[in-house]
Amino acid sequence: MIVEPAPSRGTVPRMSLETSWVAPPHGPAEQFTAGRRAAAAALAAAGSAERTVPRARDGRPLFPHGFAGSISHTGRLAVAVVVPGAEAVGVDIEPAAVPPRTAAFVLREQERRLLLPPGGPHTARDLFAAKEAAFKALNSLGTLGEFLFWQINLGHAGGVLTATYRGESVPVWIHARTDLSFAVAIRR
Amino acid sequence: MPDTAVEVRQRIRELLVGVFGGPSFVSQVQDTASLREAGVPSTALVALLVAMEDAFGFEWDDDIRPEVLRSIDSLAGHVVALRN
Repeated sequence: MIVEPAPSRGTVPRMSLETSWVAPPHGPAEQFTAGRRAAAAALAAAGSAERTVPRARDGRPLFPHGFAGSISHTGRLAVAVVVPGAEAVGVDIEPAAVPPRTAAFVLREQERRLLLPPGGPHTARDLFAAKEAAFKALNSLGTLGEFLFWQINLGHAGGVLTATYRGESVPVWIHARTDLSFAVAIRR
Repeated sequence: MPDTAVEVRQRIRELLVGVFGGPSFVSQVQDTASLREAGVPSTALVALLVAMEDAFGFEWDDDIRPEVLRSIDSLAGHVVALRN
């Protein structure tokens, strides 16, 4: 998958991105396996000698030191991103449309007004994925306590979509296709 | 409107069937199991929370604690606590 830059969203940073199909019956075990397969491929592409990604007690994937990464999956597709040298990375893919009630639940009024049409270029599904990706990156810092992804604030800063929670920020890049939204948050 | 914890858990299960997975999936999810670890995606979890607002007549606070949303049991406990 190629993450294409858009002028209003800043230049997409270099990253190793790999995907893997989820095998039938597409359950949690198969999704986990596909995610780890994608992560191993992304680590290999990034130059890591270590290719395994164990699971932390809280469920987070533990990438090798120096190779920050993240995994996301749907019932059919897993994706992994690795950014060598980054402090934190979060990725999310969302295939399902986000109905207005769900959008109103996860997006504040200001976010809806500034980022959704006609005020902004994104779809509710894009922004849902952006908050999930940002949550993974910010949560991996381990300094913000427990929080929920929709408690993150989205806004534009310097032409880049930026996610902020309790004073900590991370830029987020979005790639939207007709069948899914892909978002990656990278904190250097 | 369901009042007891048992009734509330059952209603939450019905709502979860409606937003994700169908009855065969939901019947396999234990009351205390993490919904996310059971395979419920975040979009479905939010849809469940929205459906709970309609079914139980309340609105989630913006600063709700994550552990409240962990399982069917913790969700039901929140609803019952609101009633009391």
